[in-house]
Amino acid sequence: MTGSRKKSEAGKHLTELMVKAYTDIHTRAAQGAFVVWGAIIVPAEIFKGFENVVYCAPESHSAVCAAKGVGADQCLKAESLGYSMDLCSYARIDIGCNSDGFQDSPTMGLPRPHLLVSNTNNCSLLVKWFDVHRRAMEIPHFILDVPFCYEPQRDKDLRYIVAQLRDLIDTVERLSGQKFDEDRFIEAASFTAAATRDWKRFLALAEQRPSGITVFDSFVQMAPFLVARGTPELAAHYRIVADESEADVRRGIFPVPGEKYRLLWDNIAPWHQLRKMSDRLAQMGANIVAAPYTSCIGAVEGSYDLVPFESQDHPLWHLARVQNHSVCPTGMDLRLSAMGPLIEKLAIDGAVFASNRSCKVFSVMQMDEQRLVKEKYGIPTVMIDVDHADVRKFSQEGVYTRLQALLENIEANRDSAA
Amino acid sequence: METPRQALTRLKNGPRPVIGCLPLYPPLELMHSMGLAPVVLWSITDVVPRVDDADRHLQNYTCAVCRRLTQLVINEGKELVEGLFCYNACDTLRNLPEILREGRLLSGSTPLPWFRLHVPMTSPSQADASAYLSDEIEALIRSLEAAYGVTFSEERFAESVALYARMRERCLQLERAVSEGRYEFSEFCRISTVANFLEVNEQVALLESTLAEIEGRPVRGGNAVRVIVSGILPPPLPFCEMMERSGFVVAGNDLACLHRSYAYTPETWQDASDYHVKLYRERFPCTTLLHSTDRRVDAVMDLVSKRDARGFLFVSEKFCEYEYLELPYLEKRLKENAVAVLAVEISMEENLGLESFRTRMEAFRELIDASSSPATGGECRDRE
Repeated sequence: MTGSRKKSEAGKHLTELMVKAYTDIHTRAAQGAFVVWGAIIVPAEIFKGFENVVYCAPESHSAVCAAKGVGADQCLKAESLGYSMDLCSYARIDIGCNSDGFQDSPTMGLPRPHLLVSNTNNCSLLVKWFDVHRRAMEIPHFILDVPFCYEPQRDKDLRYIVAQLRDLIDTVERLSGQKFDEDRFIEAASFTAAATRDWKRFLALAEQRPSGITVFDSFVQMAPFLVARGTPELAAHYRIVADESEADVRRGIFPVPGEKYRLLWDNIAPWHQLRKMSDRLAQMGANIVAAPYTSCIGAVEGSYDLVPFESQDHPLWHLARVQNHSVCPTGMDLRLSAMGPLIEKLAIDGAVFASNRSCKVFSVMQMDEQRLVKEKYGIPTVMIDVDHADVRKFSQEGVYTRLQALLENIEANRDSAA
Repeated sequence: METPRQALTRLKNGPRPVIGCLPLYPPLELMHSMGLAPVVLWSITDVVPRVDDADRHLQNYTCAVCRRLTQLVINEGKELVEGLFCYNACDTLRNLPEILREGRLLSGSTPLPWFRLHVPMTSPSQADASAYLSDEIEALIRSLEAAYGVTFSEERFAESVALYARMRERCLQLERAVSEGRYEFSEFCRISTVANFLEVNEQVALLESTLAEIEGRPVRGGNAVRVIVSGILPPPLPFCEMMERSGFVVAGNDLACLHRSYAYTPETWQDASDYHVKLYRERFPCTTLLHSTDRRVDAVMDLVSKRDARGFLFVSEKFCEYEYLELPYLEKRLKENAVAVLAVEISMEENLGLESFRTRMEAFRELIDASSSPATGGECRDRE
């Protein structure tokens, strides 16, 4: 049995959670909270260890702008200030938004920060981007330096990251005048851990045939991990998401009922195309069922398996241990060692390598990855050109021509196998 | 004079194992002191005119520096170097070692051994990361010893540091000669490019013989417009020659492969670890050294001021986001100080359209002439 999808409880809850998260940020900032702008992989649970610190993620805000259709206009503002069109579109959107006080922001912007916290694990460019704000706002900028992993994270790198997290706590204490509360922090970390367990339960529904989810569901639903980490609302949300999605599967409700092709997506989401791409692929009988970008949450480098909260003696060590999880801070061997089991477990028919001009660090090794996946797993692959947030760099017809060719390749393989 | 390729081939035929270093600032002195011949794999435009093989591994939105060195290593890696070194210089470079390995394998060649270092990028206001870097340096020493049967000693390290310090001082002297109009910037770039592929004692000899040749040449300036050239690599030689014919004198440079590389050597240090902590922390600021951001703009402004430059020419390495993200602020600061700025982008896909650049340079000169008081005439004013 199949069924159509209406606005789900999880979808409604997501909207409520996101509205509440942004509203809370603004309200608390207006009431005097200490405001941190951080990169998305910075362990925000640390900030929950303080009574009155709020955390914002400019990358996430840029993605929201792109998804809401105002990304290109913000990019133009940054370009008019001299920022090259070759720069990451998240950075351009954020700089553009800041240039006029977030006039066109779908979230009323972000409150002015007291501290910037960037990191080098997703991309070192984030440091340069946050430096733009540091100079404009004359506020401190903390750089979390995470060594790149070519093999599993080394003990000395783990210790190095832990030392920096402790330094970050000291920095927030010093600048905010607030005392770090270890119990609050541990509680926050446990909320994230619970959310992550349910996230994995949600993603596991891609193992169903037809899949219980699409990658677009996971792209949309990952947003709370970026803006509400360490909160009870986060844990509650992912319980709803997983429960509802499991119930749908039990009732025979699938997002792509006529699923003929099960695909893997490698890269960040093209936020400006989610609905269009989801619908069009569904019409073609194709379902992108997973992406390393969302599968990596809750794991460590080289695997997408859940790493339990209890795997380290202390939550701070756990947060340091997972700092290389997000694909970009790992080498090709580790990326493939995580991607391979996913391809097999989900019975992937073909892989879409989305070469993302705005994220070189994610994309730069994809040409070899594409070849190696094709060789090792014998599945057709395709590379398409995208930009995660600048719609001007997306050629719709060029992309669908290639995706159609991928599906034809899969079909041809099936014919020859038959 | 040898071409870069000839120099590189001769280096490979020499007694020292050649370590091809991915840009930008590898620990050259350390490797040299261990009996190795480190060479930074940039400024290889003449060695690698095409990148067809690299294009099977890297998208065309990666920078020319990475695409060219990928081509070189895939096609001629084993013939030219015996190992590779990489540190976390930029997001693309940190991904390259495995791409190079795949490129070698795909072309039927054996991969090269590679060595690595993580340079801490935390800001100076944060907790001291010196111990981490020291540990990294010690680990690098151990891995080089194991791979090449060489040994490290502090005495030999000190000797290598002295040699590199001398080489860097000679570079600064030549840069000063360029600034004074006694030596052409294009020649300086040519010499520096070849020197990059020589052993350091040969570099010193080449630079010192060049200094001897130009000794006594008169200081010249006249109506020349004094500019600072900034970027990763120098502009192509025809561009440099055109600049000079158009009446520009390069009063100084903020190029990663020139001034940012040779401007600083620690004067005092306790051991190799301490030396490298100082070298990476205090070297001339670079957009890629994330912890040096605070110092960078001031250092550039200082250079402009001391060299009495009236213009700033940014020669961009297309797709180098580190450079591009800093340019608008730098440009703002320069213009506030009445320094004209011109940014030119030279991409490897495009032919060097010299005529269009000439037109832009002429307009740049007119802008400077119009906005500045008359040049002092006849003499360069170098305030250093």
